[in-house]
Amino acid sequence: MKILLIEDEPELARSIDSFFSKEHVLCEAVQTFEEAFEKVNLYQYDCIVVDITLPDGSGLDIIRQLKEIRSEAGIIIISAKNSMDDKITGLEIGADDYLTKPFHLPELNARVKSIIRRRQFNGDKIIQFDQIRIVPETGEVSVNHKPLVLTRKEYELLVFFIANNNRLLTKEAIAEHLWGDEMDQADSFDFIYTHIKNLRKKIQDKGGQDFIQTVYGMGYKFSGQ
Amino acid sequence: MRLLSKTTLNYFIFSGLTFVCGAFLFYHLLHQIFYKQIDENLREEKILIEETINHADTIPDFRSVFGHEILVTIMDKPLPSRMVIRDSVMVDSTRENPVRYRYLNAWNTSEKKKGYSIYIFKSLDETDSVITEIFIAFTFLFLALLVVLILVNYGVSRKVWIPFYKTIEKLREYDFRQQFSLGLSASKIREFSLLNQTLMVMAEKIRQDYLNLKEFNENAAHELQTPLAILKAKLDLLIEGEYLREEELILIRAMYDATLRASKLSQGLLLISKIDNNQFPTGEELDLALLIRQAQEHFQELMLHKEILCTQDLPVTFSYTMNRTLAEILINNLLSNAIKHNIPGGWIRISLNRSALVISNSGHVLSKDPMQLFGRFSKGEKSSESVGLGLSIVQKIASLYGMRCEYTYHEKTHTITIFF
Repeated sequence: MKILLIEDEPELARSIDSFFSKEHVLCEAVQTFEEAFEKVNLYQYDCIVVDITLPDGSGLDIIRQLKEIRSEAGIIIISAKNSMDDKITGLEIGADDYLTKPFHLPELNARVKSIIRRRQFNGDKIIQFDQIRIVPETGEVSVNHKPLVLTRKEYELLVFFIANNNRLLTKEAIAEHLWGDEMDQADSFDFIYTHIKNLRKKIQDKGGQDFIQTVYGMGYKFSGQ
Repeated sequence: MRLLSKTTLNYFIFSGLTFVCGAFLFYHLLHQIFYKQIDENLREEKILIEETINHADTIPDFRSVFGHEILVTIMDKPLPSRMVIRDSVMVDSTRENPVRYRYLNAWNTSEKKKGYSIYIFKSLDETDSVITEIFIAFTFLFLALLVVLILVNYGVSRKVWIPFYKTIEKLREYDFRQQFSLGLSASKIREFSLLNQTLMVMAEKIRQDYLNLKEFNENAAHELQTPLAILKAKLDLLIEGEYLREEELILIRAMYDATLRASKLSQGLLLISKIDNNQFPTGEELDLALLIRQAQEHFQELMLHKEILCTQDLPVTFSYTMNRTLAEILINNLLSNAIKHNIPGGWIRISLNRSALVISNSGHVLSKDPMQLFGRFSKGEKSSESVGLGLSIVQKIASLYGMRCEYTYHEKTHTITIFF
């Protein structure tokens, strides 16, 4: 998998790169509009993560160029400007998703994976993790071929966990993924605990193993044995 | 009291006093002048009569000469010389009122060694009425003058103070967040011109300070985003370290919490400064009732978790023109606030009608001044984890659309009302 990261802040680019390297994703990072423009015209990427405000141009123009050359890469905008306008324009001209800085890296990871999955027209769009099988198009989940009935939040939680398997997810990152950033309430954390407890129980009821580890004081980690 | 009323009243009081004293003095002066004249006449007549007595043998009929009462008595023996002039009242049977007189009484001895006494009576009726007439005429004249002066003074003052009132009106209407200049025009009166100039300079200074501050706020919040994003990303990487000791994890956790808080804060401040700068595109027709239902659905799980019962009284649709993002933030913040400061097993009531959106919730006893709740960084004690910008943002959005926020507290019920 190959990602082009267009981000003018080198430290942020390095962090994202470093995060993706664990996912066995090849992440190419460029810092200017010019470099990015050259890259998108020369190479093929699975996903392009683009910052809108670049020192020498607008990320929106790169998206327009990608559409012009009929690139099939998924596009995620990352922008510090929490601007509705940019978001709408970006999505209108063909971006797949929009993420506001500062974001949690697992969130970006989950979104990149979701986009790449949706773009695999030929391959299967099924998420398979150990005994768990998810069909995102229909929302069906099964463990050991036994159907699993999950609430909407439990489903979202599970997909988020699998996208970030073997990674520590903080309660804050989970809360933001499930409810967006206006849910900055201490209550939402025990709420997450309830959801995780239920999810764990449902999987185990179907004979699945306990994939969710609690990392004391920090969060949760989803991993196969 | 208005300046004009004040000056006019003072003018009126002092001229009135002057007028009363003046009238009193004037009356006496008039009186004195006329009496002096009468006395003079009496003396002259006396001299004429004395001359007649000395030269003639018979006493003529003085009454027909002078036209008023004169009584001359001649005796054989001489009389000592003396003369008095006095006022007197005579009761005349033919007239209703007693008549006031001034009379002269003189005794003397003539050259023929005969004593005589002269009484000359002069009626004061006519004199008194003349004095009164003159006095009344003058009084009217003075009064008329006074009225005219007061009117003129009032009119002139009114005209003179017009620029001053204009200045006040401009000042009242001036909003340094929107207007460029105070726009005071020059006045012909030097003092007002000076006042206007000074005010313009001051307003411009305030406006510049405000703009600088606003710009600084915006830049600060904006520039903080990048380092915070980096911090957050680095911490996300750091917590994945496999060989972290527990003490290190605790340290990282604290850093993580603080970074998230700072990030929330700077986002909140950025939002406020964007609202201040009017950077949100103008609104579209929205269905607020629908937005509230959606928000309620969004928070449904959390409310269930806290066992909060949410009831609503919403119209089927409620269209209102505002920016969608801001409308969502407004409603989310209000609802989130009502959940945050609620008690387990509590309730929330949302009602929306033509005049207002009312959100009330059960909660703890309020230990704060309700007026402060809309201020920045103001928070109830219970939730020290929040950054305290929520209601401040609510108020900013509300005032952008000319709505008014009101908070009331009554027996553990907290109510926030947004008047449209």
